[in-house]
Amino acid sequence: MSSFTKSAQQWATFARSWYLIDARMQPPGKIATMCAIRLQGKHKPIYHALSDIGDHVVVMNTRHIAFSGNKWEQKIYSSHTQYPGGFKQVTATQLHLKDPKAIVKLAVYGMLPRNLSRRTMMQRLHLFPEDDLPEDILLNLTEELPQPREIPRRLNEYSQEEREAFPTLWTP
Amino acid sequence: MAARCVLGYIWTSLSGFKCVASSSNMSAFQRKTRCPQLSVFGNIQSRGIRHIVEKKEGKTTIIEGTTEDTPSRPQPPNATAQCPIYRWNLQNKYNYTDVLLLSQFIRSDGGMLPRRVTGLCAQEHRKIAICVQMAHRAGLLPDHKPTLPEGHIPKKPKPQLNRYLTRWSIDSVKPIYRTGLKWCKNRISVGHPALRNNVQYGKKILYLKH
Repeated sequence: MSSFTKSAQQWATFARSWYLIDARMQPPGKIATMCAIRLQGKHKPIYHALSDIGDHVVVMNTRHIAFSGNKWEQKIYSSHTQYPGGFKQVTATQLHLKDPKAIVKLAVYGMLPRNLSRRTMMQRLHLFPEDDLPEDILLNLTEELPQPREIPRRLNEYSQEEREAFPTLWTP
Repeated sequence: MAARCVLGYIWTSLSGFKCVASSSNMSAFQRKTRCPQLSVFGNIQSRGIRHIVEKKEGKTTIIEGTTEDTPSRPQPPNATAQCPIYRWNLQNKYNYTDVLLLSQFIRSDGGMLPRRVTGLCAQEHRKIAICVQMAHRAGLLPDHKPTLPEGHIPKKPKPQLNRYLTRWSIDSVKPIYRTGLKWCKNRISVGHPALRNNVQYGKKILYLKH
């Protein structure tokens, strides 16, 4: 802003912010695109690939992510231990039960640019399976980002007035 | 059900004379539209609940039929259509999230009501059944679960995973081990092609293959 002093303007432009994203009932791919944009620094007009101006992103409730379709059963995560016979293929369900942070981590890793700064950007990503965050991270947070997907309401979450206001389509 | 039998009897007795002469000449279309009374039965809205009241005054017994006043319900915009969805102009506008609409067509244990009861046309009945399935799998209808027999202990606790727009049943799907190359990828199906013609508000296209 024009009313800031020069030092305050410099600080506001180049400071590394901490963003919070709640991944409850959200598709991990959309969460990962939001994370990747902010880890690279592409949401800033001063972006340059070599400038290292990415921000920190904290994702909570990664245990409660929601996949669309039958991806929990159909999506496969493969890895190889480099030894013969070491090719492992695991479904999303099995991987999630083993490690609830892995799906979001792999999604973000695949969306970052394939260069040496990818590892530093991944170090700035903080994943938590539940919503209990450590105190030092809570103190650093600056902004919470809105959730990409609108969570649909269950039938018991509608009030009695809303149910009565909805017209009955047919009479028995 | 007894009322429908009575109506059917009345219809056959009234139009019995007409049917004898023209039954051989009727085309298939006329045979389908032959039963106006049974389809109008679902369209009547101003019919209230009727009670039979018996009063005894000394030696005389008065049996009276009274009509209970039902509150006036909002009229559908397209009252002359056969299917309730077309009557309210909701053709391509509902989704698995519209639980208030879907809950009107399901039983208390989650199953669909038959078409001859609800009056839906075949295509809309199928679409509503698909949306109800997707809503069940997404966990949007928690009070409509089937009652388990007493003393039933589940063998393995199933993992509680959030999902939405699931086309196939959970146990029937196998993992895609070989996804293929970019030009011939084995895509994962999301949503259902029956809802392909749904209205999209905004510029986003409906993707059925992810």
